[in-house]
Amino acid sequence: MKTLAISAYVAVVAALLGWGFYQAVYVAPQDAMQGDIFRIIYYHVPSASVAFVFFAVSLLGSIGYLTWRRTNPNWAQRADAWALAGAEVGVVFCTVVLITGPIWGRRAWGIWWTWDARLTTTLVLWLIYVSYLLLRRFAAGPQVQTLAAVLGIFGALDVPIVYMSNRWWRTQHPAPVFGGGDGSGMDKSMYIPLLWNMLAWFAWGVLIVAMRYRVERQQQVAAEKEAEKALMA
Amino acid sequence: MKKFLSILLTLASAGLAAGAIYLMAAAPAEPPRDWPAHMSVQQHALVIAPIDHSYRVAAYLITWAIQLGYLGWLAMKWRPAKQG
Repeated sequence: MKTLAISAYVAVVAALLGWGFYQAVYVAPQDAMQGDIFRIIYYHVPSASVAFVFFAVSLLGSIGYLTWRRTNPNWAQRADAWALAGAEVGVVFCTVVLITGPIWGRRAWGIWWTWDARLTTTLVLWLIYVSYLLLRRFAAGPQVQTLAAVLGIFGALDVPIVYMSNRWWRTQHPAPVFGGGDGSGMDKSMYIPLLWNMLAWFAWGVLIVAMRYRVERQQQVAAEKEAEKALMA
Repeated sequence: MKKFLSILLTLASAGLAAGAIYLMAAAPAEPPRDWPAHMSVQQHALVIAPIDHSYRVAAYLITWAIQLGYLGWLAMKWRPAKQG
């Protein structure tokens, strides 16, 4: 039953990604000013939104770990696994954002990169979570999970700064398309394909974050068994 | 099976990334900055359309290269429930 449900979900995700691609390439009209390069938005913006969602998952997992680490170790371990899975999948999507953005910028602005507020804060966000993952990977000792949880919480503080950066500071990055005040917004013919792609990439993100959570839980259980064995010996 | 899938996804990811880099490197040359002196707006649009197309396809390919590369890495770490 569980296998059937997972297979059905994978099929839905594949169909959504295919439909999202079709909407982005064949249904959405060409932008009058930017031409075909505009269509990068259908992968770039959903990736940014999904990255934010998974950094929020990491934040909640980190808070959960710090809350339960003394009172309920089992819940704390589960929360820690969610924190790690959220951070890692968030970094994957943020990497997509940091690469597709400059490809668009090269055509639209004539440059790959500029130290604009939105770009810089996004790069800082990516670096914070990469350092979180490096800490998890290379540090050892009983305090690693606690330190990682604290770093995960501080990292998440950058998410609202990234979101607000092109509202607070008007620099090179385009003004916000949604919720950006008068004159912002998008035609329905472009908006609907964007929503399909957001849904598709979110569904894909849920799939890979669930896989990553499972891998981490397996590793935690194996480590617990090893520790028990060592104590028994 | 797991190893095969992991290798397949990694190869697909590398192929997509290489394809993206090739597309951008092999894109037609951009018109000179003073293009209005040499061509009309319509001619300029015709010249830049294939360049924009190459970059857009490259962006899509790189997105998939990253996602499939990560999936390949996850597949490598994956252990069936019975073994877990």
